[in-house]
Amino acid sequence: MHVFPVVQVGGFNLDLSSILAIVVSGLICFVLAKLATRNLSIRNPSKLQNFMEWVVDFVHNTIASTMPLSKVKHFLGLGMTLILFIFVSNLLGLPFGIVTEHHEEFKLFGSTVVSQEYIDEHGGHAHVAWWKSPTADIMVNLGLAVVVFFLIHFLGLKMNRKHYLAHYFKPFPVFFPLNLIEQVARPVTLAVRLYANIYAGELLIATILLLGIPGIPLLAVWQGFSIFVGAVQAFLFTILTMVYISQAIVHEDH
Amino acid sequence: MSFHWESTVIAIIAFVLLYWLLNKYAFGPLFGVMEKRRQLVNEEIEAAESSRREAEQQLAEQKRALEEARKEAQEIIESARRTSQKQADEIIQAAREEANRLKNEAIREIQNEKNNAIAALRRQVSGLSVQIASKILEKQVDEKAHEQLVDQYLREVGKTS
Repeated sequence: MHVFPVVQVGGFNLDLSSILAIVVSGLICFVLAKLATRNLSIRNPSKLQNFMEWVVDFVHNTIASTMPLSKVKHFLGLGMTLILFIFVSNLLGLPFGIVTEHHEEFKLFGSTVVSQEYIDEHGGHAHVAWWKSPTADIMVNLGLAVVVFFLIHFLGLKMNRKHYLAHYFKPFPVFFPLNLIEQVARPVTLAVRLYANIYAGELLIATILLLGIPGIPLLAVWQGFSIFVGAVQAFLFTILTMVYISQAIVHEDH
Repeated sequence: MSFHWESTVIAIIAFVLLYWLLNKYAFGPLFGVMEKRRQLVNEEIEAAESSRREAEQQLAEQKRALEEARKEAQEIIESARRTSQKQADEIIQAAREEANRLKNEAIREIQNEKNNAIAALRRQVSGLSVQIASKILEKQVDEKAHEQLVDQYLREVGKTS
């Protein structure tokens, strides 16, 4: 029901809402982390520092549940960035939306965002959504998943080459295609799972908004639930990443 | 719904950039502080443990010293008692000896005096008898005189007795 503002710049299709969301999420993450670590103190941590340390402990425990303790500290920064960025991203689309209504062709930077044909097809008006969670865009999630995908295989090759390569042919060489599919399925499921949860949440918010005033209690409940879902999905993405990394780099001697 | 691979690329760039920035400016220092605190706590625990151990050791030492002092005091008292007992014995012994000596001396002196007295008496008796004899010899002239003499003596004796 909404169109996303896509502009063509130099042959690229840039989804402005996604870019805005990514930049805002990143900024919030960085500002939050920077504020929390502004006046670092060993003996008298500020409230924000305490909170951030709690997050660090939480992520540390999460990672430690997937791999040996000695390897945890290499991935603590990655886990923190993932959980923070995804959590903030998931919440970004919840509090409000920015939608513009267009009744005629809408152009931005010389490229058509909403064509006249589209307006004609949809009853003379079009809604352009400028504000959303970046994680409600599957292509953004795919970006995160690709980072994780490359990280898994790079770390596997670098730290555990022999066993990493051997595991494609385990338990029997016949399983090689299955293992390949598994490797591809991992990032895809990571991206799709996150996308589906967040996009569904935002879609439902948009739907509830159509109810008008009577929908307010329902909206409040759903937004609260969406915060929970956002936290769970951020946690899931992080722990699954760590599980995959752990599987690639840890070789247990039998 | 449209898919734009540009969003993916931008997400990757943004995420990598965010990871780098966060680790450099926020998490790096935070992890450092947490690690430092962990070390601090460890050090404090170790210090507390070592001071406790030291205190225990000192307590044991003190106890031993106290025990030693007590034993020493006991010994000193014991030896003092022994010495005093010995001295008392010695004093009594000396007194007894002195008394014995004095007694013996007295006895000897008494004996001497007695002997002297006897000797003096004996000398007197012998002198007296010589006098008597000489007087008798002087007066052995007549019967009358003799009688007179005897009477005279008898009177003398009677007077003296």
